[in-house]
Amino acid sequence: MNVWVVAETPALAAELVSGAGLLAPSAPVTVFSGGDAEAVAFVARRGAAKVFAMPLADHAMWEDYVPVLAALARADRPSLILVGATKRGKDVAAQLAAHLDAPCVSDCKGLSREGEVATVRRMVYGGLAMKTMTTRAATLVATVTAKTYDPLPASEQAAPVERLAPSPGKVRVVGREGKVSGSVDLGEAARVVSVGRGFAEQDELGLARDLAAAMGAELACSRPIAEFFKWLPEEVYVGISGQVIRPQVYLAAGISGQAQHMTGVRDAKVIVSVNKDENAPILALSDYYFLGDLKEVLPALARAFRAQ
Amino acid sequence: MKNIVVCYKWLRDEADIRVDERTRELDLEKAKYKLNEYDRNAIEAGVQIKNATGGNLVGVTFGPNAGQSAKDALSRGLDSVVYVDAGAALADADSRTTAAVLVALVRRLGEVEAVLCSEGSSDEYAQQTGARLAAMLGFPSVSFVSSLAPEGGAYKLGRKLDDGVEHVETAGPVVISVTPDVNTPPIPSVKQILGAKKKPATEVKVGDLGLSEAEYAPQFVTVDVLAPVAERKRLRMNPEGVSLADAAASLVKRLAADGVL
Repeated sequence: MNVWVVAETPALAAELVSGAGLLAPSAPVTVFSGGDAEAVAFVARRGAAKVFAMPLADHAMWEDYVPVLAALARADRPSLILVGATKRGKDVAAQLAAHLDAPCVSDCKGLSREGEVATVRRMVYGGLAMKTMTTRAATLVATVTAKTYDPLPASEQAAPVERLAPSPGKVRVVGREGKVSGSVDLGEAARVVSVGRGFAEQDELGLARDLAAAMGAELACSRPIAEFFKWLPEEVYVGISGQVIRPQVYLAAGISGQAQHMTGVRDAKVIVSVNKDENAPILALSDYYFLGDLKEVLPALARAFRAQ
Repeated sequence: MKNIVVCYKWLRDEADIRVDERTRELDLEKAKYKLNEYDRNAIEAGVQIKNATGGNLVGVTFGPNAGQSAKDALSRGLDSVVYVDAGAALADADSRTTAAVLVALVRRLGEVEAVLCSEGSSDEYAQQTGARLAAMLGFPSVSFVSSLAPEGGAYKLGRKLDDGVEHVETAGPVVISVTPDVNTPPIPSVKQILGAKKKPATEVKVGDLGLSEAEYAPQFVTVDVLAPVAERKRLRMNPEGVSLADAAASLVKRLAADGVL
């Protein structure tokens, strides 16, 4: 067996190299990582047998490396290609899978192999259920999210590094705007108060902010609140396509509890919800819930937290 | 006339899926079919391109009961729909099968200017279709597009990626996969809904796609689909007769006892 790792950043590549060691022990791992030769030295020292640097060009998309990867894959025939599930990574993985006519399992949560048969698991229906599938394909592509594996410690050995050039593409990059880092790291918050479409107007968020202050909590939201209403920044929306967090307390107010959202907090220690709809799915997915108007419940909660 | 193609999926409404408490299996019976909601954005993106540049806006879809989708899809601005019903034989199709079938449908249309997809479907959310189509058609893939402006024969696109926004320009043909914040799809008017009945919806059988079974067979076999065991306490803090103040105080006590404060 030989394994490839493809990732947009050296840090993510290093995580997947570690994962490859668990999934296919002793198989040599060839790494294709974003970043220049200096940056990829990080993963060259963490379990890779060989590293190819795929730096992001100024005027070309990272996806322009796909034809180069496809040609190398046809020659090298890796049995497993682990791709970091960033947005660019997902595009690259699916294109590469199509070029190789290989199956691709997206957001793979489990992978094992017995002889010819690989068994994989991933979530479906927004995270409502886990699907288990098998395949006998000679090459399997799997995208894997960040923080699934911890990178190996640095070793004395550094794998050789070579730089790849992307294939000339028809799409011209004319500019990039870096993400302005918010001051919030939702992933580190022990307590989170989260708001959803039960809030009728942006001003009502003040009730949630006040409760969050009383609890020493960070403020988060469901996808539409950030993406559609734009009442909160996108880095605080929780869900299968947003932040996946595991706080000690997740207090969801005015959130119905659709699977796509709840998948983002399935590992929270305690879930509390406030909703006026007795049929809201979130009630059955909570440890504690309040059935009522959030305009009354949230201030009562804030007073109780302040009193303790 | 150039074709602008929108790929969309007709799928079960996941909100109505029930879980058998004992076996953890999914009961799909009450889950009616609907148009994948993110595909409404893809269709609207197609409408905007057509309004700017002209062309024939065609919806293509593959899946179980695909023909049922036509009226809804056509009411959103498509000129026509072409569909392949997966039937029982291909009900467990994977991304490879879907891409093979959709590519075959696209190739039947003649000259294609753009192919539009959404960022994913609410059932599988594999997020592969657009990229696979691009690779197979030999078109560039521009994915996670959150802003789209047709300009002459070209497109200015903004991609919302993990490290920020990437602004690109390209001419057609191109596969564009859009995110839900790319536009706000309007609700179809009564006129559009009535007009949908008059627009063509054409079925193509799998056997007439010009593909061998080996070219479209799924590569994955589903073993099972199971909901995880829900282990939450489900305690209502404010039942009838308990004041909000008492209920709130009670919650704080419980959270302290749970060791999370």
